[in-house]
Amino acid sequence: MNIIVCVKQVQDPETPASQFRVDEAAKKVIPPPGIPPTVNQYDANAIEAAVQLKEQHGGRITVISLGKDTARDAIKQALSMGCDAGLLIDDPAFEDADAYQTANVLAAAIKSVGDYDLILCGRQASDWDQAQVPQGLAELLGIPSVTPVAGIEVTGTTLRVKRLIEDGYEVLEVPMPALLAVSNEANQPRYPTLKGIMAAARAKVDVKSAADLGVNAVGRKVQLLRLYVPKVESQIEWITGETPEEQAANLARRLREERVI
Amino acid sequence: MDFSFPEEIQLLRRSVRDYVQGRLRPLEEQIEREDRIPDEVIREMAGLGFFGFPFPEQYGGIGAGELGYCVALEELGATSSAITNLIGAHTGICAMSIYLAGSHEQKQQWLVPLAKGERIGSFGLTEPEAGSDAASIRTTAKRDGDVWILNGQKQWITNAPIAGTFVIYAANDRERGARGGITAFVVPRETPGLSVGKPDEKMGLRGSYTAPVYLDDCRVPATNVLGQVGSGFITAMTALDGGRVSLAAGAVGMAQHMLDLSVQHAKSRKQFGVPIASFQAIQWMLADMETEIQVARYMVYQVAAKIDRGERVSHEAAVIKLFASEMANRAVDKAVQIHGGQAYMKGSPIERAYRDARILRIYEGTSEVQRLLIAEHLLR
Ligand SMILES: Cc1cc2nc3c(=O)[nH]c(=O)nc-3n(C[C@H](O)[C@H](O)[C@H](O)COP(=O)(O)OP(=O)(O)OC[C@H]3O[C@@H](n4cnc5c(N)ncnc54)[C@H](O)[C@@H]3O)c2cc1C
Repeated sequence: MNIIVCVKQVQDPETPASQFRVDEAAKKVIPPPGIPPTVNQYDANAIEAAVQLKEQHGGRITVISLGKDTARDAIKQALSMGCDAGLLIDDPAFEDADAYQTANVLAAAIKSVGDYDLILCGRQASDWDQAQVPQGLAELLGIPSVTPVAGIEVTGTTLRVKRLIEDGYEVLEVPMPALLAVSNEANQPRYPTLKGIMAAARAKVDVKSAADLGVNAVGRKVQLLRLYVPKVESQIEWITGETPEEQAANLARRLREERVI
Repeated sequence: MDFSFPEEIQLLRRSVRDYVQGRLRPLEEQIEREDRIPDEVIREMAGLGFFGFPFPEQYGGIGAGELGYCVALEELGATSSAITNLIGAHTGICAMSIYLAGSHEQKQQWLVPLAKGERIGSFGLTEPEAGSDAASIRTTAKRDGDVWILNGQKQWITNAPIAGTFVIYAANDRERGARGGITAFVVPRETPGLSVGKPDEKMGLRGSYTAPVYLDDCRVPATNVLGQVGSGFITAMTALDGGRVSLAAGAVGMAQHMLDLSVQHAKSRKQFGVPIASFQAIQWMLADMETEIQVARYMVYQVAAKIDRGERVSHEAAVIKLFASEMANRAVDKAVQIHGGQAYMKGSPIERAYRDARILRIYEGTSEVQRLLIAEHLLR
């Protein structure tokens, strides 16, 4: 089974709010010093799902990431968890790519890798949380896609996929090749073995530019108008009353005045 | 000269740090309360390769060398000391004795299962009557054809209650002592005549076991002698050289953790209407901690790299063991001061570290013994 996993490196979501800053003029997030970026958590679930499938059915896993040179680390983490090869698409023209451009360049990268049975992505990336690349990518490749996925089984050339819905899940049968966008319900990503880490460190990651893949950074669909941290202002108003009952009644009246209830 | 780390060591550091933060930190209180590391955690660490940092892959290790081992122990130093003790005694002195003195066959037989964490290792040198003066050990080894018969008692032996493989040092010739009179033996736990006493109750290091080991007519095949008969003292001292460097690495990690907690606390704790970090008295303590930690850290790397180049480091190992262990004690003391009464309460990680740090100045050679070695080197 040939599996491709798309991985994005993101700002560590554990970054304390006090250290999160944006450059409003440049419309960019300023990376907080000393906090290294990490693999997007849902992508770690996709990597884990791929490695489990490889353990059950054999095969080869290729990891692809669009990102800056630092994203090499994200690829190496995937390699240390059990993936076989890595491809980094590093191109300044794509630094602020929107979902469409990202899907476009990933589609070209996937075609350059060759035959595949399954593409796994995380359901969304924790930086912008748009959840658009996976479906866009499947569309561009002309293959079926499912999101968000909580479980994958392979029987012959079909997949049985557990798809999360409100209050439960549904089970779908999907022909391969297909794209699945994995959610955290699917698994708990493993800690890489230290041997795996040492091997991944020595492994070479292929690096290509968009031009190498024959795509250019046109066709942007989204314009970022403004980037800012919203100001949250809170005011406290004490509700008084002689007894708890009276306080509750006064609270209810105030909430109604504010049209909250 | 290039002081940057190879990529594999950087990734190793990141992974061990993730494991500390994600897996071990949440267990710290449990380890302290129950006085044990959960079995499944030891098994998991074994599966990931935590018991074979410095050894080549050929012998079941992960091939990170002494430098990688020290970087890993530095990261592990930031969590429960039970972990660094388990790994330190196992890797740095027990398995290392076999790696340094064992034949290829002995390494295949004994080092591989240790490096893979299939067996836990223990290093038995100290005795009730032989502490700093390790060459005066009274455990005897008498040859009887193809076997050696060991008799005696070892004291405060780390990991003994859970160990599968012991490296036991015994006197084949008490007269000759350090000069040809001591021999190292690999003694598997199941050997008749070897028994382990009740684990000691300690001031700290909860979750790490030490216990006495008794040898009563314990018959060990001559093929279990590590190196030459009579060369055991050199093996022990060489293993301890490396052990001291990695111990220093753990001390650096502990001190760094104390500093991190202290910085956080100083910024968030307010007195007299301002964070205590705005008082110069607190700032200076933080600055002093940082300064000493940096100095110790870079010396650890420097000496570890020397070991990887195959150089003897007895002198530097004594210097860094002395400095880092005393530095860590100063750092925890300052952390207690910065945290105030909160640090004095049971359950505080500072209170735990305060008790745990104290041992660093005693085992693997006391501070006085290190000074003795350093002075000996200067005056020889
Ligand atoms: C928790 C713990 C774990 C241990 N684990 C192990 C283990 O796994 N394997 C093992 O073999 N041993 C182990 N030990 C033993 C440890 O290595 C010894 O405690 C240490 O070497 C010191 O010996 P001692 O305690 O007998 O002190 P002593 O040697 O009795 O020293 C007492 C005091 O006298 C000082 N002193 C001694 N000689 C001199 C001198 N010549 N000049 C100046 N001062 C001197 C010492 O520095 C110290 O201050 C462990 C000990 C502890 C407490």
